[in-house]
Amino acid sequence: MAVYEHSYKPYEGTLTSAWSRFLVIPRYAYQDLFKYKLFIALFVLCYVYPLISTVIIYLHHNANALAVLDITVSDILPINATFFYVLVSVQTSLAFVFTVIIGPVLVSRDLANNALPLYLCRPFSRFEYIVSKMLVLLILLSMFTWVPGLLLFFFQSYLEGGGWMADNLWIAGAIFTVSIAWLVILALLAMAFSAWIKWRTAASAALFAIFIIPTPIGFIIEELFNTNMGHMLNLGVAFSALSSHLFQLDWLDAKLSFFEAWGVFAAYALICVFMLSRRVHAYEVVS
Amino acid sequence: MSSMIEASTVKPAATQLDWSLWLRQIRAILRIEVKKNFWGKRALLLYLFAAIPVVLMFLLAIVDPNGSADIRNKWPNAQEAFGNIYEGLILRTMVFFGCAWIFMNLFRGEVVDKSLHYYFLCSLRREVLVAGKYFSGLLASVVLFTLTTAGSLFFLYYARGYPANVDYLFDGPGMGQVLTYLGITILACLGYGAVFLVIGLFFRNPIIPALLVYGWEWLNFLLPPVLKKISIIHYLHTLSPIPLNEGPLATVVEATSPWISVPSLIVFTALVLFLASIRIRGVSHPSNH
Repeated sequence: MAVYEHSYKPYEGTLTSAWSRFLVIPRYAYQDLFKYKLFIALFVLCYVYPLISTVIIYLHHNANALAVLDITVSDILPINATFFYVLVSVQTSLAFVFTVIIGPVLVSRDLANNALPLYLCRPFSRFEYIVSKMLVLLILLSMFTWVPGLLLFFFQSYLEGGGWMADNLWIAGAIFTVSIAWLVILALLAMAFSAWIKWRTAASAALFAIFIIPTPIGFIIEELFNTNMGHMLNLGVAFSALSSHLFQLDWLDAKLSFFEAWGVFAAYALICVFMLSRRVHAYEVVS
Repeated sequence: MSSMIEASTVKPAATQLDWSLWLRQIRAILRIEVKKNFWGKRALLLYLFAAIPVVLMFLLAIVDPNGSADIRNKWPNAQEAFGNIYEGLILRTMVFFGCAWIFMNLFRGEVVDKSLHYYFLCSLRREVLVAGKYFSGLLASVVLFTLTTAGSLFFLYYARGYPANVDYLFDGPGMGQVLTYLGITILACLGYGAVFLVIGLFFRNPIIPALLVYGWEWLNFLLPPVLKKISIIHYLHTLSPIPLNEGPLATVVEATSPWISVPSLIVFTALVLFLASIRIRGVSHPSNH
């Protein structure tokens, strides 16, 4: 066809409906991620602890299996709030590892290659872009944090019967709330660092640093000023405090109150949103 | 006119060890790198980071209404508390992470910025480049963290008042303690600097090795005596002017004499730098990274 015959033609294919456009980015991201065998292996590894937990729950309700293994119910871990708290703690720690692997390149690649205008020139807002990028992490991390946590809760409810579920519904709430709070903050931190730090390793290091460095600072402030306020810098302590309150764990030394813990999460989230809003633009003026 | 190119072997400019040339080159690298380390955008966060202990000591000594009275009335306790702050916050956190940032950036940062080849294109021995970069990092970290140590000590002593301090510093053990703390900081920068320089050279993603070193250094108090000695913090800990209790779980080890600790750290640093020099010779071109 001669060049002069080329003229503008609108796209005639099927349009992605407006409400589901934010799922396009995660879809392509997962296609990329699951190409790597090592990533798949790591993802499968994340189901080892939930599998062990499933076996423990099953053993609690199977007299034959107990007899074969020559153990009693008292020899196995009790199925209570602590059981589910440990599950959530292990799985959210793995979620952190995944965030360090995936998170640092989420936004930085688009910024480094000037790809943002290509996204934002479409009927796709900045908000949708950020939510889409967050969903890359949130959906993936949910698959091995609160989803198996709740499945295990329902499995235990089914096997136990007799109103166990109604009596312990707050555990399900705790599994969901603690996991989601942690995942959202991880996703926001990863994206904020990704947007501001172009070097992937430095962004990963910043993610580690934000969890490691506030710990000694918090304890030194506690020792010097006899206050727990120093721990308000520490997301790990906020996670423990939130878990301690929601899972009703008296043995867990919560350095912060329930509302202080939420305050820490909210403060970090606001800072991350501010950092993202400063960097995610369709264009950039270079002076 | 002939189109042939006349080629002949050129006599190497330096046939033997040209120390004066190398020292000039190290000075030149030092100038460039110090400018980068001190005045770059990357340095700003480091300043804020290094200021944390000083701000905390300032708050304790000046702002907290009971802080200065506590320091005055319970001086031995205050010294012990400072010892803990120094080891837990300044040495194990600020100096460790600060050195990690400064020294890993020396080579890895250049690779990311695609600027290492500018050095490689110069008629410069790779070993000289390693030395120049290491000394620039050392200078930046030593200045920054000795200031942190000195600033923190200043506010600790400030709370005691002028006459008590003059007595303690000039007629008592005070000056010795201050100099020991500063010396430990310098040795920490020396040791950690060498470790992180070599990590930055050997590993494309230096985070995992750095975290392993961090874990090793933190768990040092639990390690058996032989393994304890394969760490930097063990030697720094034994040099502390105020003996610190490492907790009930710590394995008790006979303190290493300063006459062994200090030379050990220096020899270790020299060995690590030698290793880095061997490694840098194998690095071909930054584009291959």
